[in-house]
Amino acid sequence: MREPESFGKAAMAIRLVALLGLALVIAIADTLTDLEIAVGVFQIAVVLMAVRFLPVVGVVAVALVCMALTVISYELTTSRGSEAALINCIISLAAIAMATYLALRMAVAIRSVHETRSQLAQIARVNLLGELTASIAHELNQPLSAIVMSGNASLRWMAAEPANLTKARQAVERMISDANRAGDIIVRVRALAKRSSAHKEWISVADTVEEIVSLAHSEIDDQGVTLTVDVPEGLPPLLADRVQVQQVLLNLMLNAVDAMKKVEPGGAQLEVSVDWNAGGEVKFSVRDNGAGVSPENVERIFDAFYTTKEEGMGIGLAISRSIIEAHGGRIWMTANPSIGCTFQFTLPTGKMDT
Amino acid sequence: MTNVLVTPQEEPIIFVIDDDLSVRTSLEDLLASVGLRCQLFGSTQQFLEASRPDAPGCLILDIRMPGMSGLDFQEQMVRSGINLPVVFITGHGDIPMSVRAMKAGAVEFLTKPFREQDLLDALQQGLARDRSNRQAAAVEAQLRRRYASLNQGEQQVMELVVTGLLNKQIAARLSVSEITVKVRRGSVMRKMEADSLADLVRFAERLQGVDKSGV
Repeated sequence: MREPESFGKAAMAIRLVALLGLALVIAIADTLTDLEIAVGVFQIAVVLMAVRFLPVVGVVAVALVCMALTVISYELTTSRGSEAALINCIISLAAIAMATYLALRMAVAIRSVHETRSQLAQIARVNLLGELTASIAHELNQPLSAIVMSGNASLRWMAAEPANLTKARQAVERMISDANRAGDIIVRVRALAKRSSAHKEWISVADTVEEIVSLAHSEIDDQGVTLTVDVPEGLPPLLADRVQVQQVLLNLMLNAVDAMKKVEPGGAQLEVSVDWNAGGEVKFSVRDNGAGVSPENVERIFDAFYTTKEEGMGIGLAISRSIIEAHGGRIWMTANPSIGCTFQFTLPTGKMDT
Repeated sequence: MTNVLVTPQEEPIIFVIDDDLSVRTSLEDLLASVGLRCQLFGSTQQFLEASRPDAPGCLILDIRMPGMSGLDFQEQMVRSGINLPVVFITGHGDIPMSVRAMKAGAVEFLTKPFREQDLLDALQQGLARDRSNRQAAAVEAQLRRRYASLNQGEQQVMELVVTGLLNKQIAARLSVSEITVKVRRGSVMRKMEADSLADLVRFAERLQGVDKSGV
């Protein structure tokens, strides 16, 4: 999770200085206290904190500084040469070394979990895009066929006797705006398909929702589902990964469409809405009137590899949950009073903790 | 039909139902550039609510639309008695879809982006079909009016005449005199504007066909 560059660097420098200060305080305490007390062991805390925000090399450097401080404090201590002091010093050094080693291994493991999760999210996203292929093709086809028709019309206006240049020009202008529209669609698809690590930025909720709805809407229409989107005005911007939030929305919408396959024609209703209580979180809801979720599945529906669909892999909702939780939000499902169910998730407003 | 009134040729009109504004507008412009007027609708609902001019027409219908699909709408049109030839346009036609459309009587099934000539040909075909449908409907309406002007006795005589019975037999069936049958038969021929027995038989078949399809 990256913060904006300059801000991130400054924060890191402050943390580093604070950490080294702490190490120094511990070393001084070690020097001043009685020799039998191994205060140097507390340098472990410094190392553990360093692991949370420094790369491997940095952590090793911090650990070496701590060990050096421990040795110096042993040298400076009043009763050096005593056997207990020496043993205490060695114990401190060994403890720092072991803590560093274990902490680094844990950091590597955590990083690989993150990487795997982001790869899985990528796979899930590509799967979603695959399901959307027909929809995307349709979205592109509309402006393309409009361009072809306008082009033909323009040729005819020019060939007329006398040539109707006003009409011809209007047709060409329409072609340009339709071509731009097709270009915008491609930009959206590429943004969704692009493989990138999570990238948080300030995003507009309305634009985020609108973009993903525009990619999916013809798939939704095609299934005979009526879609309503309700995004109030005046929502605060969110610090979030736009593509990941769209992935979650898309996943919930396509799940809803699947759940409504058996609803009689014309009856399927999908509602995407956003709520905001000033000062609180922004809440997204995706509501359908489909088959719903049976009580025995409710508990496990967000588990990985658990699916109620015949062709499902059971990763969509699991990925969605990990994305939302990584953003500091929550995701849950409730059954509607009458029929179908509603998936909701929240994203916190204001600054996000990384 | 020899002596049956023919409706005057009105300027044809193309109706377009497509939810995509830029497709609609460019279609309108394309049709305008070949001298066809058209009326645009963003949804099937708008189409149903609008008043349509009484002229030969053809409908360009998008398959994929919010709410009701073009294919479902085609069926609904048939049910609600809107007799208008349909040309389908779609972004991703598959075979079952086109089969369903053509079975339900569509003129053509075009996949976007289509060649304009294909569209224009289909529209001409659709308009021709609508013209002949409208003409047939006008003829039938005329015949129905003529038939309605017959009194009950004349209608009975006409029914029996067209089955090939002789005046004598008809008189026996209806228990009236042969003279009466002759008189009624004469006025049937006059009121139905039939020049010959063969004409009258054709008219009767046509009227029966209307009755059957009207059920």
